[in-house]
Amino acid sequence: MIETSPTAARIRAWAARRRLPESHLERWLALEEPDAGALLAVAEELHLRTGQLASVLELLGEITLRERQTIGAILAGDEVRRILRGQGSAPGRASSLLEKLRALRYPRLTSTLNRINAEVADLKLPNNLHLLLPKDLSSDELKIQLTVRSASQLEAALRGLEERRPKLARILELLGGEHEL
Amino acid sequence: MREFSSYSAVSMNFELDAVFIEEDCRASALADRVVKSLPQSVPLTYVADGREVARPQASIADPFGAGKRRMVVMRRRSPFMMACPAASSEFACCGYLVLTLASNCPMDCSYCFLQEYVADNPSFQVYANYDEAFEELERMTHKAPGRNFRVGTGELADSLAFDRLTGISRDLVEYFARSDALLLELKTKTDEIDNLLTVDPRGHTLVSWTLSPEAVFASSEHRTAPPAERIRSAKRVADAGYRVAFHLDPIIAYPDAERDYLRLLDALFDSLAPERISFISLGGLRMPPALRAVARRRFPGDPMLAGEDVLSPDGRYRTFAPLRLRIYRALSERIRRAAPRLPHYLCMERPSVSAAVMGVPAPNPAALGQLLARC
Repeated sequence: MIETSPTAARIRAWAARRRLPESHLERWLALEEPDAGALLAVAEELHLRTGQLASVLELLGEITLRERQTIGAILAGDEVRRILRGQGSAPGRASSLLEKLRALRYPRLTSTLNRINAEVADLKLPNNLHLLLPKDLSSDELKIQLTVRSASQLEAALRGLEERRPKLARILELLGGEHEL
Repeated sequence: MREFSSYSAVSMNFELDAVFIEEDCRASALADRVVKSLPQSVPLTYVADGREVARPQASIADPFGAGKRRMVVMRRRSPFMMACPAASSEFACCGYLVLTLASNCPMDCSYCFLQEYVADNPSFQVYANYDEAFEELERMTHKAPGRNFRVGTGELADSLAFDRLTGISRDLVEYFARSDALLLELKTKTDEIDNLLTVDPRGHTLVSWTLSPEAVFASSEHRTAPPAERIRSAKRVADAGYRVAFHLDPIIAYPDAERDYLRLLDALFDSLAPERISFISLGGLRMPPALRAVARRRFPGDPMLAGEDVLSPDGRYRTFAPLRLRIYRALSERIRRAAPRLPHYLCMERPSVSAAVMGVPAPNPAALGQLLARC
């Protein structure tokens, strides 16, 4: 981007107000002018915090690399535009934007996680049984947490698990990559 | 050590900016071969201590990349033998022993762990006193009679890069040919096999190639031989009496990875009958955060470094587990279908992952090491 362009000046002003680290500012200014400008519009519209801007910049950089799309094109996509033009508060829409960008950055992880979460919800576990999925599906390990205070509660919890054995096995299969992703 | 009756400058696959030779090594056979084979265009300097010139050049933007183009012929001051640096009690390991005859590599793969591992001494170092490694091997085999060892030179360097210049492979193959307890593994991404074709391994040298689909080769494996050329080279050395093996490592889970890696296996088995292959290892891309940062800084445009990787319990970034295991399963199944008796194993994965993919408990490292040393 041309260092003296009006967009560059506005980006510098935004960065100064938000105390954006120099390395992030440099990355931002290194973008093509339409991309840098599109990101500035989002930052202003959603009142992005410094950390959020850094995350958005990082995610957009990786999505462009993976998908061979420009930042401008990503931000002009239907789902992103819907978030940007939505009715909610700016902080709420900022969170939604980050979530959407993470889904674009990690498409198969997101769809697998959604699928597993749906399976977990379908278990309809009682309050004293919890399934703890590995963070970001980083392993194939499933933790099952029982909270009991008596032998009869333990008996009921174990019975509850036994009744759900086939569905639990399916969740383990999903974690272990035994199904199409 | 082998004596060469005549020398002439050789054509090199890899360019060098400079060669440095430690004064103490001036009279070594290795230095002699390098000096006599080196193209005249490459400046040659004698230095008192090779470690000084092996360090990163602070004034250069990419000292690691520059180091690959500076060869230092020097004395190794520490033992040549070590356990594989990737080995850990948390993984199902293969009992691989590493003989460090060189450090760094003239090729430049974007995912390579050397970018971080040898960042403090990035020049391409070749150790002129490598005959001392043979003494270490003698001591090891005498201490454990009846055991078989698989010893490789391709961990901190490519085993065959610059072999046209150094000729080390011939000494190694001839030494291992005389030892029943030892199997040498030369691991490479090159097609520098000419020296190998001049010596008889007597069944004691295995040459292994890292194999990747074209997409990974084109995007990430700079200055390496194309995958098809690696397979052709494997066939040639197999025809010359060498054992051959392959490492599908790192497996990078880009969008069409499963299809491409399966096609790669099919292409391999079409070219080389599975019964002529000693083993195949599989390993997903794994990067400690520091390596990931260096790799991304050096190769900002490589999409292979922007996969769906997450921080794993072992502190490395890996492809999220369901996808990683799915690809392992698909490849393992294809190998089993094409070659039911062809050993294959996972590298740097927990025993539970290995058991889940292979359907049998992972053997302990010593047992797997023995098996692979005899394949």
